[in-house]
Amino acid sequence: MDFTLIFENIGIYFTGLQNTVVLVSISLVLGLLLAVPLAVLLNYGNNSIRLPIRAYIYFFRGTPLLVQMFLVYYGFGQFDLIKDSLLWPFFKEAYFCALFAFTLNTGAYTAEILRGAIKATNHGEIEAAMAAGMSKLLMIRRIILPSAFRRALPAYSNEIIFMLHGSALASVITIVDITGAARIINSRYYSPYEAFVTAAVFYMTLTFIIVFLVKKLEVRWFAHLQPQSNNPAIEAPP
Amino acid sequence: MNDRNISVVLEDIHKRFDANEVLKGISLSARSGEVISVLGPSGSGKSTLLRCINLLEIPDSGRLFVSGEEVLLKRSRNRTMPADMKQVERIRSKLSMVFQQFNLWSHMTILQNVIEAPVHVLKIPKDKAIQRARMYLDKVGIPDKADAYPVHLSGGQQQRAAIARALAMEPEVILFDEPTSALDPELVGEVLQVMHTLADEGRTMIVVTHEMGFAREVSSRVIFLDGGLVMEDGSPAEVFEHPATERFSAFIKAMV
Repeated sequence: MDFTLIFENIGIYFTGLQNTVVLVSISLVLGLLLAVPLAVLLNYGNNSIRLPIRAYIYFFRGTPLLVQMFLVYYGFGQFDLIKDSLLWPFFKEAYFCALFAFTLNTGAYTAEILRGAIKATNHGEIEAAMAAGMSKLLMIRRIILPSAFRRALPAYSNEIIFMLHGSALASVITIVDITGAARIINSRYYSPYEAFVTAAVFYMTLTFIIVFLVKKLEVRWFAHLQPQSNNPAIEAPP
Repeated sequence: MNDRNISVVLEDIHKRFDANEVLKGISLSARSGEVISVLGPSGSGKSTLLRCINLLEIPDSGRLFVSGEEVLLKRSRNRTMPADMKQVERIRSKLSMVFQQFNLWSHMTILQNVIEAPVHVLKIPKDKAIQRARMYLDKVGIPDKADAYPVHLSGGQQQRAAIARALAMEPEVILFDEPTSALDPELVGEVLQVMHTLADEGRTMIVVTHEMGFAREVSSRVIFLDGGLVMEDGSPAEVFEHPATERFSAFIKAMV
């Protein structure tokens, strides 16, 4: 086992780290921005709006991320309509294709998480908002979404971690992410163990950071669920 | 209907849920400053009547006026709906409601609960709303709970916070929907006391309740509902001493 070759080539891993972080962050942010209105419409929209949203979610949850990425990266080039369009400069880039597939994928899962969280809003709190004279939009913005985000956070933190690990698939379409870096090292030195253990350490570190940040957000957002500080903590039964 | 002293007028309100006709033609007017207790056995339509006033339920037919303005309703696909949601929102902002289950917004502190609608619905500047909120929290006796979350309060404290939230809208009428029914017996008193203070201040209140003591001693008018109709309507003295109907005498006997 020879980790010196990893230290000599650590630069590749840092390039990979940067690509992974950028790719995952952008797709998570865009996916969330996409998911919020879709989740609201799934709860409060009429049938003609809900049906296409349901179809979108069903497709992206019903097929593997790898297949979705291949459809975009290899598949779109097959259509002249896309090849001749202004979008082609984007879709011929592997990086953009991965970003596109990841965003739509996480958007679908996140919309479903949020849909449930919105549906579980205490009806009494909604009535209180209506009785106070709030418009539907104000109520969604001030009462329903803040409350739903809190309920959704534990499930969404899972989605963040799945997305991070799912992003390893980007290495299949030539992108040098963390896994891509490991594959380069492996093929250059034929030392799969060192190469992929290093990748694993990078992913674990990122996961640790995510878990830490979510925990901090939980402390802030779940203050309304915590026992008061002067109360004795609830102890686990013996 | 331009009489300034009339806060709420109901004319021949009907409401049914599927086959069950809950309100069978209720007419009622509440003058400003009146404290009306609405009594009745469960299933008599008391809560539905109250919820029709702020349009949490939409009456199937009949007319509704709030501070001189008629609520516009329309028929569409065999259902009655508000014709203008903006009008409904405006009218709701003049009518606060206090719920049986308090319904405080659980992710907000008590102070945030109280300033939420004044700031975002009435567009009152935040510092002024906070000032006002503290005054009302003081009035209901929980000034020290401003930064607590609803779950950290007892039921009685939560209901008083909900009353402060209702007051902060400076409404023309406060609707109480069985405000003490979800409380432990020893907590009922503190809420009734706050309501008593509000009645003495001359606030217009419509109170659906099972508290006979409150109806008899605090309210200026008692209405007894049974089977979706108004059976009694008068001052507590008249109604309790000389019930017009056999049903009400039986109801009082059963309650005592």
